[in-house]
Amino acid sequence: MAAPMSGVGKPSVTSFQKKTRSKLISIAGTRPSVQNGQLLVSTGVTSLDYLLGGGLAVGTVLLIEDRYDSYSRMIFKYFLAEGVVCRHELFVAAAQDNPDDILQELPAPILDDIAIHKPAEQPRLSSEPQESLDAMKIAWRYQNLPKVQSALASSCRFGHYYDVSKTMEPEIRQAAKFHRFYVPEHPTQSSSTHSTMPESYSALLKSLQEVIHREGFDLAAPMSNSRNILRIGLHSLGSALWGDDLCCHDNPKNGHSLTTFLYGLRALLRSSLSVAVVTVPSHLIQDRALMGSITRLCDNAIALESFKGSERETNPLYKDYHGLLYVRQIPHLNCLASKLPDHKDLAFKLKRKQFTIERLHLPPDLSETVSRVSRGELSGAAAVASACGSGTSGNKHLDF
Amino acid sequence: MLTELLQGADAGGFVIIQDSIRCSGRHLLKSFINAALNREEAVHVLGFEVDEEELKDGLKGSAIDRVHFHNAYTDPLGWTDHPAFTVHQFCLEELTHLVKQSSHSRPATLVIDSLSWILRHHSPIVVCKTLHQLRKGGAVRAIIALLHADMHQKGTEGSVCHLATSVITIAPGMNGDQAVAKITKRSKSGKVMQDEEIFNINKDFTVTVQSKLGPKNTPTEEKELDPTANLTFNLRLSDTERKAKEKLALPFVFSKEKKTALLHSGPGSGRILYEPDSNDDYDQEDPDDDLDV
Repeated sequence: MAAPMSGVGKPSVTSFQKKTRSKLISIAGTRPSVQNGQLLVSTGVTSLDYLLGGGLAVGTVLLIEDRYDSYSRMIFKYFLAEGVVCRHELFVAAAQDNPDDILQELPAPILDDIAIHKPAEQPRLSSEPQESLDAMKIAWRYQNLPKVQSALASSCRFGHYYDVSKTMEPEIRQAAKFHRFYVPEHPTQSSSTHSTMPESYSALLKSLQEVIHREGFDLAAPMSNSRNILRIGLHSLGSALWGDDLCCHDNPKNGHSLTTFLYGLRALLRSSLSVAVVTVPSHLIQDRALMGSITRLCDNAIALESFKGSERETNPLYKDYHGLLYVRQIPHLNCLASKLPDHKDLAFKLKRKQFTIERLHLPPDLSETVSRVSRGELSGAAAVASACGSGTSGNKHLDF
Repeated sequence: MLTELLQGADAGGFVIIQDSIRCSGRHLLKSFINAALNREEAVHVLGFEVDEEELKDGLKGSAIDRVHFHNAYTDPLGWTDHPAFTVHQFCLEELTHLVKQSSHSRPATLVIDSLSWILRHHSPIVVCKTLHQLRKGGAVRAIIALLHADMHQKGTEGSVCHLATSVITIAPGMNGDQAVAKITKRSKSGKVMQDEEIFNINKDFTVTVQSKLGPKNTPTEEKELDPTANLTFNLRLSDTERKAKEKLALPFVFSKEKKTALLHSGPGSGRILYEPDSNDDYDQEDPDDDLDV
């Protein structure tokens, strides 16, 4: 249906336009989503791309919560490394570490395309019956059925693999254009009680806006053939070094400074070709309602819980993994509902060449004395479970 | 891990000793000072909570000259005309000046006793910024601070500990002179290591680590109760019986060829051939013809 549109200085033009040429922008390192046509970029971690519905949509924010900042920093570096390999531009802002130091630590990409990603999840080919028949003595009729696929991966690969033990070569790194924002370099005046945001946040927003406008990432700029994506990484937002007392006090004075900043950031991202990854030390924020509103303001949100130092480290159920991963939020962009992952119990492990996120399988509980930890106890009070387990394990094999 | 921390291998480190009212951390702090003195370093102490004699008590020897005690105990808020060191001097320029003028060529270690005192008079943001700048500045090689965990809100304590490379939390141990230390250490690459140790401090402020508890007290494995014991019937197998059992052919175990044939059944393998027998009533006519419907 054509609707008459009154343009300024133009005769009345109908909104019905003939399809002259394709309007899809094709930028290196991106692809349209199969679900809703959004332009997606890879986060650098293939399993995470699968969880987020194919990749990170351009114009959205990914929030990563992590207690000790070890694995979230890893994902942060994967994201930036993916940007370097796809020749996107990078913008890194940090308060604690110098952005140049973060860039020195990026993992090296594995550039030969042969999948290290072994095809273990493909069904076993029936062209080799001899060895497979000897494998199962009684259940041999099930041999040709495919094995359970626990690693999350989609059929087409989008994104690259990185070797964590090596750092990226300087030649590859210097080929990428890089903008930085280091908080100690932007000194703030001590008397800034009149602003709603700490000075560092407003300075960061101004710097971002200026970079987006200058380098031509604005959507309002005329479409040219060479468009690029700006990857923004904001490390440890909300910590005390940014000048925000959100993490320090139970009742922060500028409780809404971070939420205002995120609102402004999202507005900037929606009107430009950029993606952002933000890490927040959420364990320091005492007000859970505020943490909830921060999660709501970021489109995608995941939380990582590492097993280091908790009672779960020695739990035999978790021995293959390094931590649990919770998907807090997935956006629904231009559609009614988003595709949440089917399985809510996800665990991750960091191998040298891959960061995998898998469904957490409980192995069959064959031994009598292993304490039977139910699903409720897994996520909640581990202390209660261990007390129950050690106290009454003598009688466990007699319960009916 | 406690002994490694005491040896102070890495520069730019920031160690926080968290204590509480149940167990004081000042003795461990003095052990750290002792270890730094043994390493021929200059130690600058910002003393807010105890005075000079009490802190230097027990630290003997000629090395005592290398301890520069900045007296913030007598007049920390500057109420008199000539305060020695006030809490308002806790900022980057003053501290760098202080450290540079006293220690000439040796690496300096800054000991803060205690950080809780400073956090009461400065906002946590300012304290965190100053500590961060001190670490990056290069004037001091390492910073060791005492923090009273029960004096602050969780967020404040968490924010300050987030900056530290190692956090040692002290709790009282079983015996009177023993204490339990929970250590969290963050390395430069982002790896986190945790440990729990029982230690006690000797008269000359050296630390003996008694034993290491693991990160978790694993429940002791109960001896597997053998269900085949104490029964009136015999559930075990002797060797000959086991061999006979393995030789037994299971009912649905087929030969390899039959298995492959069944698994990959080709098309048309299910033909039925029927030869009508003399007993079968094979009548060509339709038996329903005489029905009057």
